[in-house]
Amino acid sequence: MFKETYRRLNDIIQPDKALVAAVLAGGQRRKRGAKQPFVRLKPALIAAAICLCLVLTVPVLAASVEPVYELMYLVSPSVAQFFVPVQKSDTNNGIKMEVVSADIRGDTARIYITMQDLIGDRVDETIDLYDSYDIRLPFDGTGFCGKVGYDPNTRTETFLITIKTDGQKIAGKKITFSVGMFLSDKHVYDDIQIPVDLCTVSQNPKTQTVEVFGGGGEDFEKVIDLHGRGQAQAMVPGDEEASFPVKGIDLTGVGYVDGKLHVQMQMKNSLDNSNHGYFYLKDADGNRVLSRYSFSFRQMKEQEGQISYCEDVFDVPYEELSAYQLYGYFVTSQKKTEGGWRVTFSPESQQSKD
Amino acid sequence: MRQEQSLRTNDGAEDVIRQYATMVYRLAFARSGTKDDADEIFQEVFFRYLKNQPVFESEEHCKAWLIRVTINCSRKLWSSAWRRRVLLVEEDLAFESKETADLYHELQKLPAKYRQVIHLYYYEDLKAEQIGKILNRKPATIRTQLTRARAMLRDFMKEEDDV
Repeated sequence: MFKETYRRLNDIIQPDKALVAAVLAGGQRRKRGAKQPFVRLKPALIAAAICLCLVLTVPVLAASVEPVYELMYLVSPSVAQFFVPVQKSDTNNGIKMEVVSADIRGDTARIYITMQDLIGDRVDETIDLYDSYDIRLPFDGTGFCGKVGYDPNTRTETFLITIKTDGQKIAGKKITFSVGMFLSDKHVYDDIQIPVDLCTVSQNPKTQTVEVFGGGGEDFEKVIDLHGRGQAQAMVPGDEEASFPVKGIDLTGVGYVDGKLHVQMQMKNSLDNSNHGYFYLKDADGNRVLSRYSFSFRQMKEQEGQISYCEDVFDVPYEELSAYQLYGYFVTSQKKTEGGWRVTFSPESQQSKD
Repeated sequence: MRQEQSLRTNDGAEDVIRQYATMVYRLAFARSGTKDDADEIFQEVFFRYLKNQPVFESEEHCKAWLIRVTINCSRKLWSSAWRRRVLLVEEDLAFESKETADLYHELQKLPAKYRQVIHLYYYEDLKAEQIGKILNRKPATIRTQLTRARAMLRDFMKEEDDV
């Protein structure tokens, strides 16, 4: 079978340990404030510097009441001169989405989009288009959509879409940008201590075999064979821990399974709210111990919709656990706005009009 | 969606690097066909990751971002004038069987865009719809590319490998 042969071929392809170590060291250098994460064999491309300049410049432009394209001229004429107004919009469910301006050069396009709540406060600075946005092109290419700034006075968020083709010219081609829904009212719980006494965790919790649908971490592939049975031993979810401080995520178990510490969180309807997070341990000196791997599984509960669970698994012996405290990083969204907004435009025709 | 604001700690970034290092490297190798190029693409992908520190809403989101960036970096490497003038050297890989060695050499005859969809479909277990979303292509385009790639690899394919 081709799949198996291809998999065996890839099994021998691994990044050199020194290469991974160099990249990780780059992360440490970055943490210490170095401007360059790591020294690579070849210098960074000039294009990357140009992109970075845009990233650094545009948030200043967008976070204002003035239309994005006017501000560009005020603050950075050298950048703004390449952008031409498009100003095509679609309004649905009280939300207006507008393609404000575009800069098309050869096989690269940069397009500014705004989303504004005309009747409420559903568009805020935490807005997340999630996976509901779509960029349609009449050719092969890749596209990214990133947030660049929020104007609280007009409740408008500005996005920058960057499109790169396989070398084909974009000018004159129709581009359609659409958004199906978005999340907002997002809360980030960063480095919060979880009020759990690790000295009292169960060494023999009830377990069950579950079908794993996702996961990650250093030992994930070693422990869970996603391409085989894809199963794991998980704790049977317990009662929701009342003192858990994250709205939208519940702590449903802490215990030892096969000598490893498992910490389990529960998320209701996570496909609708994208709530997620992870646990870690901290010792008295503040050193972090990350999980060796995590895995996710689902269960259907009557009347409660879909519930997904994620278990972080730590390689810390029970005897040493009292030296640690449980911490976590979590992101939740409280609002989901559905509508469906779509704008089709042709950058070259806009340019020729001007 | 890529976001320019950084909410993750660097510890989180290192976790992401550890978790996805092999995935990124294998995809880079699948597209480029050489370890030297894969080394360079690998560094460039994580250089961009550390520079931008994007915030991801899910594991799938993170994976999709890294796949996109890996493919973009592969394209950029290949499109350089210097690279176009360099002949590929034979890779010194320790193949575990003649079959995998033959497959490697057949794969090198395919266009890079076919190799990437083969990899994402057969190795990362992504569906044509998911690949299309990540690469911003229609699922039908992905299926066509898979069909053409399969036809070119017909000696290795059996009926159960059908898309």
